[in-house]
Amino acid sequence: MVRTIFWYATLMEHEAQELVRGLRRRDPSLLDRLIEQYHYRLLRYLLMLTGSQETAEDLFQETWIRVLEKGHQYNGKWKFETWLFTIARNLAIDLLRRRQPQSLDALLQPEEGERPMELKAPEDATPFVIAAQGEEARRVALLLRRLPPAYREVLVLRFQEDLELSEIAWVVGSPLSTIKSRLYRGLEALRQHLEGQPS
Amino acid sequence: MNGDIHERARKLIDAWHVEGLPESDRAGLETHLAACPECAARAQVTERALQSLRTLAPRLNPAIVAQARLRVRVRAQELREYRSRLHALWMSCALSWILGALTAPLLWQGVQWIAERFALSTAASVTLFVLSWSVPAAAAAAVLVWWRSQTATENGFLPPRT
Repeated sequence: MVRTIFWYATLMEHEAQELVRGLRRRDPSLLDRLIEQYHYRLLRYLLMLTGSQETAEDLFQETWIRVLEKGHQYNGKWKFETWLFTIARNLAIDLLRRRQPQSLDALLQPEEGERPMELKAPEDATPFVIAAQGEEARRVALLLRRLPPAYREVLVLRFQEDLELSEIAWVVGSPLSTIKSRLYRGLEALRQHLEGQPS
Repeated sequence: MNGDIHERARKLIDAWHVEGLPESDRAGLETHLAACPECAARAQVTERALQSLRTLAPRLNPAIVAQARLRVRVRAQELREYRSRLHALWMSCALSWILGALTAPLLWQGVQWIAERFALSTAASVTLFVLSWSVPAAAAAAVLVWWRSQTATENGFLPPRT
């Protein structure tokens, strides 16, 4: 058992080192593999962050270009997806700050005329589950958009992307205590919205 | 007292999802939920909300993935070309500096010849030597710095905005 864990840890370490070296070399085939592996999660995060399909798709492209350009700065200390979300978040904040230099609330609202977030049911769901989850998913998506962006973001990172609290703190650039507080408040707000609506 | 138990159970429900619970708290909470329909309902709503959040699936346009791959490949090619040009430029500068250092004695002889022919003072001949040795190198360095800042701006190599 201990040997298996040790072997697995060594393998992970080796893969992390390969990733660091590949990013430093700006290896396009490595970037291809990373895009294949993380495109869905990145787009989902950007959609949740911005609430706009067009903005998320633009930022998606820019994020991968930035990963290529700044790959030498990745040191493997954090998981790759944590670093990826940090880059995406910084780009989103930069873009939205240029559009609307007011509050974070204003920053993370889609511009008029932009397509709102589009949702689909998971592919492996049965038709019945698709119908049920489609309705529920739409409700939750609407509820999420009503939540303050600071709460929405940490909820998404914790419960969709399964990031550790310390990783969320690094992505968001806030202390751990702030992240916990936002998660508790966000969860409470989400539950209150759900309870306030007919199921 | 009874209210405290429910309040604590509610806090533990959230903590379970947000931070995780130690085994002892978890067992206590599960016992309480089995006996308290109100707290159990709350736990269920929380679980349902998070389950819906986890299963939210955005619609993905496959074209943007292909587009991202293409843009990354094009950019990687541009960066390779940029690095190779920069490398060549640095090599030329290094070579010119080495040649300058090697030819300094010859240059000094030339300056002395000019100083004798035009009866220049020692200070003037030293100034002439320093200028003729350093001005071309300074001009090349200035061109290099200018060219680098231009291409850095075009290629997005300037430090990220904070």
